[in-house]
Amino acid sequence: MARLSLRGIKKSFKTANVLHGIDLDIGDREFVVFVGPSGCGKSTLLRLIAGLDPITEGEFVLNDQRMNDVPPSKRGIAMVFQSYALYPHMDVYENMAFGARLMGLTKPEVEARIAEAARMLRLEPLLKRYPRELSGGQRQRVAIGRALVRKPEVFLLDEPLSNLDAALRSEVRLEIARLHRQIGGTMIYVTHDQVEAMTLADRIVVMNLGRIEQVGAPRELYETPANTFVAGFIGSPKMALVNVQKTSDGITFAGGDTLALPRLPAMGDGPLKIGVRPDAWSLSRDLASPGIAASVVYTEYLGENAFVYTRLTDGTLVGVRTTPNELYEPDESVRLSVDPVAIHYFSAEDGRRLPA
Amino acid sequence: MRMTGRGWWITALIVPPMAFVALFIIYPIVAAFTYAFFDWQGLLRGDFIGLANFHKVLFEEPYAAWTRNAFTHNIMVFVALMVLQNGLGFFLAYALWRELPGARFHRIAVFLPVVLSTVIVGYLFKLFMHPLFGVFNISLRGIGLGGLAQPWLGQDSTALWALIIANAWHMLGFPTLVFLAGMQRIPTEMLDAVRMETQSEWVKITKIVWPLVAPSATVVFVLLFVGAFNWFELPYIMAGLDGSPYGSTDVLGLYFYRTAFGGVSSGQPNFGLGSALAVLIFVFIAAIASVITVRLRAREIQL
Repeated sequence: MARLSLRGIKKSFKTANVLHGIDLDIGDREFVVFVGPSGCGKSTLLRLIAGLDPITEGEFVLNDQRMNDVPPSKRGIAMVFQSYALYPHMDVYENMAFGARLMGLTKPEVEARIAEAARMLRLEPLLKRYPRELSGGQRQRVAIGRALVRKPEVFLLDEPLSNLDAALRSEVRLEIARLHRQIGGTMIYVTHDQVEAMTLADRIVVMNLGRIEQVGAPRELYETPANTFVAGFIGSPKMALVNVQKTSDGITFAGGDTLALPRLPAMGDGPLKIGVRPDAWSLSRDLASPGIAASVVYTEYLGENAFVYTRLTDGTLVGVRTTPNELYEPDESVRLSVDPVAIHYFSAEDGRRLPA
Repeated sequence: MRMTGRGWWITALIVPPMAFVALFIIYPIVAAFTYAFFDWQGLLRGDFIGLANFHKVLFEEPYAAWTRNAFTHNIMVFVALMVLQNGLGFFLAYALWRELPGARFHRIAVFLPVVLSTVIVGYLFKLFMHPLFGVFNISLRGIGLGGLAQPWLGQDSTALWALIIANAWHMLGFPTLVFLAGMQRIPTEMLDAVRMETQSEWVKITKIVWPLVAPSATVVFVLLFVGAFNWFELPYIMAGLDGSPYGSTDVLGLYFYRTAFGGVSSGQPNFGLGSALAVLIFVFIAAIASVITVRLRAREIQL
């Protein structure tokens, strides 16, 4: 059982405030991913949970026990580092045995745990090798093995895939998902890669500038982003965010094009932000057709589909998913139309989601 | 083959240092080797006498006793400095590395004495250890421990140790700096990884930090070994050419110098015996230093 509770966590380094009050509860066996742009505080938060840096203000409670002043090694938490941080002077077996012995386990216990971890991670043939003799993916597995052997209640993973090449990355990603199902521990995973977040997480915590923007299941974040930051961060290519004017029966774009909409947020007429994902737009070469004026910037051909990036008259970049047989040339004038039910509405002032 | 401009440049840069090394390093070593096999009358080279000079300094009294005495002192100096200089240096480096309060100031303070000339350090410590108005004894009397005040340099029980302390104070900054540089190469994530597994500083030091600074240890150990068996300046300045009192601070360097070049109490210069001693010291240092280097290199790890 591992339930974590972060209450009003703040962190400052000297005069720089990095985290501005984080409240978050994480349940047993949950796989939570912290995601956000670099500098958003996600790794700092992970280090506070690990105990590697002191918490400036607020409380971290693990299973009803306040952890603020408990040293890292006594928290029942293991961490996998971005650089793997294997001990170069110990072979794979010793790397895994080091922490286990320090926990006061007997020799047969240590051996049994290493055997189990080695089997799970297919490390058996590598036990006598030194880290410098291993590939990146193998080192990664040893780093995970070292955490497993300690049988922690909580696993922390700090950008564990960022040092691997693309092909290996998706392989190890699957491996981590499998491990989580197999051992069922609570896992907290930090990444800036939204694909990792979407594929691995039970719940994603989107962070920005030291604050949590939204917490939710991947589908929830994708379908109902709480604000423009989350809307722009989750999904690739990005959701287009367009400034429009709300009228009584629809919206007016900067270029004067109008769009009648059956469903609008409850508010007076005035400025509004809409968000539309690439798959909800469609493109037409027929300049007389209804829709919004735009010009093509460039086209990305991806095989099964293509993305056409267009620019509205006010300069907003809009990505549109098309089939690969309609390729558009740069500077071509086009008309964009949009699926009305796929429009997200956000406040023009603070970017919060407006229900429609 | 015609020389290009670049070739001339390279030659001009290489030849002077090569000539310097040949003249002042290689030639003296080779010369000492040959001198050791001849009988010398002052500056006049006599007959080839084979290994007689070596036999004399190693096995014939009183030379053999003097050699043994000096050699024993060198060993004591080496062991003591290993603990006082390198051991303390390691822990100091660890403290500086962990950024204990005042680390910035101490990083400089610890290294500062290394910059001082040995002559100055020797002279200062001679003053510090003066039996009547030396700062050591004044301090002891000041805190009511006057009974512990000693004529540090004037009695055979403390004289060598006094020199060792002075040397340790002088050179402590060097191993500290080398170890500190070694520690700073350890990735911070590796330290974080250890902290996730233990909070014991002792385990961190012995199981992680120490093995990882092995390359620094090799350098520091070898240099200390060479330095300890070539020890000359400090005992010469503080205790004089005779290793006074009564040879209690005599070391191979002083003994060699006295024998080869003569002295007030040691009589005529004898290049033959002196060269034999120099060759023995050289061979001993070269052999042991190579063994140490090879053995320690094997422990080194690529970070």
